[in-house]
Amino acid sequence: MKLKAGSKGHYDAGPNMTPLVDIVMVILIFLMLTGTFAVGEHFLTSNLPLSRKGGGGEASPNVPLDEPLEIRVDSTSAEEWIAQAGGRQVRNGALLKAILTQMREALNANKTPTDKIQVVINPGRNTKYKHLVEVYEAALDAKYTKVAFSTAH
Amino acid sequence: MKGRRMPVSSVTHPNVTPLIDIVMCLIIFYMLVAKIGIKTGADAKIDLPVSMQGIQLKDLGNTVTLNVSAAGELPLITTLNPASGENEEMKVLDGTKRPLKAFLQLLRGQNDNFKVIIRGDQNLDYRYLEPVLIVCAEARVKDVNFATRQPH
Repeated sequence: MKLKAGSKGHYDAGPNMTPLVDIVMVILIFLMLTGTFAVGEHFLTSNLPLSRKGGGGEASPNVPLDEPLEIRVDSTSAEEWIAQAGGRQVRNGALLKAILTQMREALNANKTPTDKIQVVINPGRNTKYKHLVEVYEAALDAKYTKVAFSTAH
Repeated sequence: MKGRRMPVSSVTHPNVTPLIDIVMCLIIFYMLVAKIGIKTGADAKIDLPVSMQGIQLKDLGNTVTLNVSAAGELPLITTLNPASGENEEMKVLDGTKRPLKAFLQLLRGQNDNFKVIIRGDQNLDYRYLEPVLIVCAEARVKDVNFATRQPH
């Protein structure tokens, strides 16, 4: 009986990759199942304003207080809000941003740098959090750097 | 001289090299991006408000996350207890005691980089957030961050 030629047989020239693939797949599935991702979440940073009295802690008498700029906010319904800044009432973020920009430019012209202006958002007790965020964003859009919430109720 | 012929390898199984390349890339991606074993105490059920602006916090080691929700007239706060590793309820006011203030003061210690992350439902009234902010101020927390959701 004639044996088959070597060229027709099965030779594995490389190492057996099957265990490696198995382990790597298990690791991949583990990472996909257990890993948590920062799915579209970010943060609005607020400072707590110093005051002579109140929630933000007492300022040193030697440190000059920042120029306060108050924005009053109230929710008028589940989706609408009204804000008051500089004696004007507004109901949308774009208009509020325009007013706040004007106020900042006026203060800058009066030799008050932007980093010395403390924006204090003063919400009503029933103001919705999402409306506060809209007002907060309008202040950031107007290039203010210090934005905080009032704790004076 | 007669050379010895190498046997010809006839591979009968599929070539898994591209598969391994891709899987290795995926593993490296997940290892770099996924936060495994990091518990911040964030309550995923809270529907955060949407904001275009916002920053990413790099240093989560100095932060504590407070999940704020409404419960009657006072806010209900849940936060990760570092001792137990589980989320626990914490009250602003409990009789004459002030558990949240004591908790924040303990965590803050002398750490000036200590931060608080506040997570609240987008329809939460400010009256529930305000006591938390007051407690943060009393505990001399300088850095308060409001968690928001990026628009899709």
